[in-house]
Amino acid sequence: MTQTDDKPAVQITSLNKWYGAFHVLKEVNLTIPSGSRFVICGPSGSGKSTLIRCLNGLEAYQQGTVTLGTIRLGDNARETALARRQTGMVFQSFNLFPHLTVLSNCTLALRRVPSMPRKEAESLARHFLEKVRIPEQADKYPAQLSGGQQQRVAIARALCMNPRLMLFDEPTSALDPEMVKEVLDVMTGLAHDGMTMICVTHEMGFAREVADQVVFMDQGSIVEQASPSAFFATPNHPRARSFLNTLLH
Amino acid sequence: MQFDVAFALSTVPTILGAIGMTLLVAAVSCVGASAIGFGLELIRRSGGLGGLFVRFLIDFIRATPVLVWLYCLYFILPFYGIRLGALATGMIGLSLYYSGYLAEVFKAGIDAIPNGQAEAARALGIGRMDITIFVIAPQMLRNIAAPMGNYFVSILKATPYLAVLAVPEMLGRAFDIASETYRYAEPLTVAGLIFLGLALLISHAIKRLEIRLLGPTAR
Amino acid sequence: MSMLEIWLGILQGFRVTALVTLYGLVFAIPFGLIFGVAQYLTTGPARFVVTSVIEFWRSSAVIILLFVFYYALPLAGLALSAMTVSAMVLGLNIGGYASQAVRAGLQALDRGQKEAGHALGLSRATILLRIELPQALVAMSPTFINQLIQLVKATSLVSLVTLTDMTFRAKEISQIEYDPVPIYSSLLLAYFIVCYPVALFGRWVERRINPAREARRAV
Repeated sequence: MTQTDDKPAVQITSLNKWYGAFHVLKEVNLTIPSGSRFVICGPSGSGKSTLIRCLNGLEAYQQGTVTLGTIRLGDNARETALARRQTGMVFQSFNLFPHLTVLSNCTLALRRVPSMPRKEAESLARHFLEKVRIPEQADKYPAQLSGGQQQRVAIARALCMNPRLMLFDEPTSALDPEMVKEVLDVMTGLAHDGMTMICVTHEMGFAREVADQVVFMDQGSIVEQASPSAFFATPNHPRARSFLNTLLH
Repeated sequence: MQFDVAFALSTVPTILGAIGMTLLVAAVSCVGASAIGFGLELIRRSGGLGGLFVRFLIDFIRATPVLVWLYCLYFILPFYGIRLGALATGMIGLSLYYSGYLAEVFKAGIDAIPNGQAEAARALGIGRMDITIFVIAPQMLRNIAAPMGNYFVSILKATPYLAVLAVPEMLGRAFDIASETYRYAEPLTVAGLIFLGLALLISHAIKRLEIRLLGPTAR
Repeated sequence: MSMLEIWLGILQGFRVTALVTLYGLVFAIPFGLIFGVAQYLTTGPARFVVTSVIEFWRSSAVIILLFVFYYALPLAGLALSAMTVSAMVLGLNIGGYASQAVRAGLQALDRGQKEAGHALGLSRATILLRIELPQALVAMSPTFINQLIQLVKATSLVSLVTLTDMTFRAKEISQIEYDPVPIYSSLLLAYFIVCYPVALFGRWVERRINPAREARRAV
């Protein structure tokens, strides 16, 4: 890989975003080093999903800069597109393409964006389907899979593009409890492989085990950032404390 | 004068001989209307001045009769030196006219696709054109198979309008017989029955096709 | 020929256009109601008969139906005026479409409505007239308004059976003076002026009866 390790994977400076009059993101600053795992948590409406969606251009913002590696988003259309391509995203609602098989879901972007030959794309896709432990479902349609399986396909689909950075937007919130673990296991595996990951999630067990840093957001601002051990033992901010209390009970 | 069944039957081969022309007009117009309608809908969605114009154009088409559109094209185009002949003019007219209706159908089909689909494709770095072709269009078609089929049948039933431009499709052929024999009721009834049969057959076939298309991947 | 003369000429045909529409409704409304309800209530062979009648009027090409009845009814000893034949054919064609809206509206109602009526001891007729039909007709009213527009546009066909409607007048004028561009574009505009307010009214009704859907669209 050509990744420059001295540059952080993500650098967010003075990011501000409004929906009309509503100030969703307020002066957000965050540096995410390459190879690190960040968990972003906070009450609903705190702006955490909006923040993560700004990182790959799904949301526009009015002020501030987002730099992925060496590329500042919005400076240059071609470079921005390249940066987005190197950023994988997993959604709460999976967003698999219902009209395509699992395998085709994984190969569509490979075939269209770098125009990879079909054989090559398929073998790459099968490799990642194996990695998320569902190679046998390759020829099924998304509707024939359980939620946990669908979300693992979505992860494999993102991995196929060889991303430098993976974004997870509440990947387990739409899942039945018994399926949460299979998805978290795959994510933990990814973390052990050294993938740079930013996860919006309420799975505090996952945060404790995998995260380098926990970022707590409330009302559009980052109010606390700490290592998991520090965050869970002694949260500084009263709102972080009450948030943790509601999660534990 | 009485309805002469034997004479009616004798006109069947002549009228049926024009079924190829009817089907050609219908097929070309279905393809044309779908292509133009999809293009119109994409322009309308992209907003701006073009979008506003298309929105008005679609409203305008839907508030005016197809027969008048055919007259307009047939009489106005040659006035500006564009001579396409009756057949081409007729097919262009039907394509344009029904594109206004199909654009509305496409709109409903696209609106029904969750936003996450386009977002996921964008997150994978797929380009706008490819998203439209490989992600949006197939799901849209699945959402709208039934209304689209209905409009295809409507187009088929509108092909006899081309008889007023002297295109030799089935109704035109029936009128030819009528003006030669001075008997109108029989050939027109025959043409009507053939059209009814054809419309019922094709709408049945479309329904069968829908079931097959929607079978394996239905949500 | 001045624009004013063209418009006055087309306006002379408005009376016939309006009359055919009104008389057409006299056929369309009862047909749509009676056959829609009948299709909803009947089963087995009775339903087959009802459906066949509806399909005849709905699936035939309306331009051919008009010619067939115009030329064939006299052979059966029925000498009806061109106005009556036109109103009947166009009306029953639209009525066929309307009947499908009536039936679909009735079928879409929550079963609980009928069951609650039964539980209160109401007769089947009372349930239909006082509970089911009012809700179904209100729910489907945007569709009926659309079908009214279709009827107005279809009246342009009566120009082919010698009635002097707006389209017929435009053709007459353009035979007197070869000036197709202003004449036919005025004709298009004339239909637009008649139909577009109805379409806007239909949208207003749709918003009124379906605020939730509109809210979803606004998001």
